[in-house]
Amino acid sequence: MLVSALIIFAVFLLIFGLVVFFDVRKAKKHNQKYHFGRAVTAFLLLLPATLFAFFFVLLPILYSLGYGFTDYYLTKPNATEFVGFDNFKAAFEEIAEGGDLAKAIKNTAIFVVVVVPLQIGLALLLALFCNNKNRGTVIFKVCFFAPVTVSLAVTAYLWKEILTGSETGLMNQFLALFGIPAQDFLRNDDTAMLWIVVASAWQGCGFQMLIFLSALTGIRKELYEAARMDGCNAFQRFLRVTLPGLKPTLVYIVITVFIGACRIMVQPYLMINVYADRNITISYYMYEQVFTSYRVGYSSAVAFLMTIFIGTITLIQRKFLGEKKR
Amino acid sequence: MKKGLLLLALTTLTLVSCGGGNSTEQEKDASGNTIVKIMFHVNKTTAEGKAYQKRIEAFNNAYKEEKIKAVPRFEARTSDNKFEQTLINMKVEGTLPDIITFDAPNCASYAYAEILSDISGQISQDERNDFLSLNEYNGKVYGLPIQESSAGFYYNKNLFARAGVDVSGYTVDNPWTFDQFKAVCQQLKNSGITPVDMRITATGDETATYLLYSFIHAAGGDFVSKDGFTATGHFNSAETKSGFSYLASLISSGYTSYAIGPTDFFNGTVGMYLSSGWTIDEFRDYTTNFPDRNSWGLLPYPQGTAKASATGSWSYGVTDNGVADKSATYKLLKWMSSAESTTVVTNATGMIPSRKSCNPTYEVGSAEWVLLEQLSKTGKERPATVCYPKFSQCFGRIIDSLSKSNLSEIIDGQTNELQKLLNERK
Repeated sequence: MLVSALIIFAVFLLIFGLVVFFDVRKAKKHNQKYHFGRAVTAFLLLLPATLFAFFFVLLPILYSLGYGFTDYYLTKPNATEFVGFDNFKAAFEEIAEGGDLAKAIKNTAIFVVVVVPLQIGLALLLALFCNNKNRGTVIFKVCFFAPVTVSLAVTAYLWKEILTGSETGLMNQFLALFGIPAQDFLRNDDTAMLWIVVASAWQGCGFQMLIFLSALTGIRKELYEAARMDGCNAFQRFLRVTLPGLKPTLVYIVITVFIGACRIMVQPYLMINVYADRNITISYYMYEQVFTSYRVGYSSAVAFLMTIFIGTITLIQRKFLGEKKR
Repeated sequence: MKKGLLLLALTTLTLVSCGGGNSTEQEKDASGNTIVKIMFHVNKTTAEGKAYQKRIEAFNNAYKEEKIKAVPRFEARTSDNKFEQTLINMKVEGTLPDIITFDAPNCASYAYAEILSDISGQISQDERNDFLSLNEYNGKVYGLPIQESSAGFYYNKNLFARAGVDVSGYTVDNPWTFDQFKAVCQQLKNSGITPVDMRITATGDETATYLLYSFIHAAGGDFVSKDGFTATGHFNSAETKSGFSYLASLISSGYTSYAIGPTDFFNGTVGMYLSSGWTIDEFRDYTTNFPDRNSWGLLPYPQGTAKASATGSWSYGVTDNGVADKSATYKLLKWMSSAESTTVVTNATGMIPSRKSCNPTYEVGSAEWVLLEQLSKTGKERPATVCYPKFSQCFGRIIDSLSKSNLSEIIDGQTNELQKLLNERK
């Protein structure tokens, strides 16, 4: 542990040294003087955040990569052996065979594709609705934000009770009013994940609503007045003024909601009382691999692949949604 | 720059060297007492928790002179297997207590994972003979049962009378057949009563596996080979599949469903309820529909091509926590697994004592008597495999899929999943 941490730390310092080296070269190329003292000051100022990022972000990722090449069994770390690319190979085989990992990817993809636009769209609508100075608005803001403050476990159980398949379930009692027979919403392979999406979007959108609200207050009123004078209707004002004004916030929200959605686990785990085809997500799969099968090495390989995937998609999102360089 | 680098290096060294190694000395308190830590799977406010607490206090009084003190920890087992995860986390962190209680079917898995240690040398031949069963793996003893269990079908006598169903002839020696079980269900269904809660939704923890695995044995099937490393050809054999198909047919015939609520039987809307001995006490909370013991009865498991019923409960195990001298730990183990402690605990739980010397006396024909009779005559243990948690998960997934048309494929898929993991452990 100590030796590997020191090696990783040495690599980290090497990278830092290389950055300084290339900065010096760049400065020379542009005939600028390189202020080494300023670089050291900057380095020291960045040190706390860098250490935090190193120990809590970079190191776990590197360890995850390292463990991915071993047969690390959860309760027998001392018996760990290097197995090369076996775990990565096993993960791809599992996907090719249509095993649990393939199901997890499919479910996670469905969740991400639906929840990201739904949650962000809902948050934006709520923000637009609350973005006025009417007296009652604050009550709506509190109501819309309230689910964010409740624990995920509590809301998952709440939705489980609402959607339970028995005739005493809240949703089934509501449907019974219209003569519709009881439905087992969370047992249906086709709809279970969509109900998880609804529960997640309901809980999460309040937080994004607040961020949108704060961004909306930053859009200058003059722009709306000018648009009005130019004859723009409400929709055109939203399209031409509001949306461009929200773009930086929107990029941030899309990226954070996307990353959060990729890691979905609590709701599928708690709302559906079994590890089944309809609720396995990638995070849930990794969790089960560790706690049921004790396969830390394999799970680490999957975790690393997931990190690479999320990182790649995030970079693509930034490229397509990000601000154009001036 | 140099100072910065030095600071960075020192911080790294400090942080990465924070983790401590495992102690090999038994912990002692300020008064010089040797501390023996024991972790129970129940809340200390329950009747079972109080019984453990009582025995721990008695131990501490008895061993005051020897300066041994037992310190209990109560980590209630919830429906999401939190107790098992806590155990695993403790093993990883190196903080395992000296003794744990564990669900007996996990014995092989915990022994393989080095959570439990071999206690074969601590059990005399007389003691071996006194226990109804021992928790063994690879010919070594890893656990001493606290209590034993059996399960059966609790039935609502009023609903049965309303439907004109007579089950008086079905006993452990002369159990009903799979077909007779269905015939009773049909009679109940004809009277507008939901026939049976087979507990097919209790797949979030071990409950569904515990209550339903014996149906597979009764159908002539099994789960893994004797050495516990081959699932293919066992878990997906024709007999095993026919057992699962029988359970599936109970759903397709409308005798049971996933929509039955957990208290529907107690609220008087379901005729039968598959459960274990712990349910006997639960009737006290439902006096409207079950005012006394004559308002309900208990029927044994139905038989298919063979007789089989659920067994297994919780056991004591000594952990592999790196403590070299376990003499104090073994004293506490002996105390807690003694006939006296077993009697105190089983009186509180209503379960069957794990020792013959406890000699429980139940009224002939009572629910407890039926359970004891069934345990001794048709009890069949859950499979002993180092991948038991995975097996239980696979079993639960099949139970969750009983209403699907491709059940056979699902059984093959789960067998494949289990076999892949078993191959890694070979």
